[in-house]
Amino acid sequence: MSGRDGFVRRAALLLLPVATVTAISPLFAGDGEMGFTNYYFTDSGANKVVTTSFNLARKLLEQTTLLLDIELDHVTVPPITAVTGASRPQRDKSQPFEKSRGQVILGMEQGIGQNLTLSASFYRSQEVDYISSSAVGTASLDMFRKNTTLTLRGQYNADKVGKILESGDVYNQNKFVYTGAADLTQVLSPTTVLDLAYDVVRLKGLLSDPYLQVSVIDSTGGTVLVDELHPDNRTRHAGTARLSQFIPSIRASLIGSYRYYWDTWSVKSHTAELKLNKYITSDLVFSVDYRYYTQTGSWFYQPDYIGSGYTESLYRTVDYKLTPFSSNNFGLSLSYTLRALGAGGGDFEFLENSSIELTYFRYFNTLDFSADIVQFAIKFSI
Amino acid sequence: MRTWAIRAAAGAVLAALAAGLGGCMAVKATERNYLADPIMEREDHFSKQTLAQKFFSSREGSIGGASGIGGGCGCAK
Repeated sequence: MSGRDGFVRRAALLLLPVATVTAISPLFAGDGEMGFTNYYFTDSGANKVVTTSFNLARKLLEQTTLLLDIELDHVTVPPITAVTGASRPQRDKSQPFEKSRGQVILGMEQGIGQNLTLSASFYRSQEVDYISSSAVGTASLDMFRKNTTLTLRGQYNADKVGKILESGDVYNQNKFVYTGAADLTQVLSPTTVLDLAYDVVRLKGLLSDPYLQVSVIDSTGGTVLVDELHPDNRTRHAGTARLSQFIPSIRASLIGSYRYYWDTWSVKSHTAELKLNKYITSDLVFSVDYRYYTQTGSWFYQPDYIGSGYTESLYRTVDYKLTPFSSNNFGLSLSYTLRALGAGGGDFEFLENSSIELTYFRYFNTLDFSADIVQFAIKFSI
Repeated sequence: MRTWAIRAAAGAVLAALAAGLGGCMAVKATERNYLADPIMEREDHFSKQTLAQKFFSSREGSIGGASGIGGGCGCAK
């Protein structure tokens, strides 16, 4: 694909959904919410991702809501050189590798009485070398005059992890994921909410990247390239605490969170995040966000793999996500409510509770990796 | 194993404390205007990953701990 074709495709991916959402939004006028998000990502490794997402929550009956989410991604990975260990096929390695991904989530939310909400969703994601199918069930119970909400979630994923071979054929292997999660939200005062969450994720099957290769020094002193080999099961745990505080005197909110993670591969991590949202005018909100993350490496990660055992059954990895590192992320955001456009009534009344948002993230870590992310979102209340 | 039990117990105590607070510090529905403000960022209908979470999950080794759905990241790792 030429650079011009790529640009045209990315521009179409960005603009078509805006036009579609704007055109169809009056058709869904009623009780619900509709959103459109665009996301552009580029990093220091010359990878590019353009994502377009559309979601709809539409009330069908008094306590029944239909949920629909559609997401399209276009990914460009640069040619393989001596200095990149990119996760992409070796085939046509002197050319950029491009692929598209489509995702659909279809769900139903049902209220039962005043305090219980049940929901079920089905998820399907497809790209040339990865297919994922998932079912999710959630129960949410309000207690103590809606001051406390307990949410339980269970999820099952059945994925096919593909590898594009030199011949162009795709070789698939299975991966299964079982998730259980509990979330407790507590109103502490008219301006403060505390959120505590725990989840456990069990993974089985192919858990290594089918494209990544490890350089092993064998018994003769020579170097051999072999595929990564990770254990075929992993259990992840994470606990999160989040405190949200509204500050009426300056019309702002301060949201702080801490998360601790540990798993059976000996990876442990700490994440701390602080975000300030501030009304500049009654329609314009400015947000600033900082996130710090640090993790340990997995028990089988080594800087060098020496010995013929590593060309056979001993575990080996070059995945930097299994090495020790820290990262910093800064975010800035502007959100504008279209109240003024909708206030006049008529055809634009649906814009009254709608908003547009522009976000920029700058991410960098101790492995000399950095990324810039720009996100544009429109949300309609319909 | 012992560390695991201590963490589970700490989580249970925190949850019980929060639930207990709910019983004795009830905030009336009419007093929740600030809590309902969009800048308090309460979750919407979708339990899928936000795009920021999607990025972090493809770049860091410890996904989970927040709402998330689905595999296949549509990302460049």
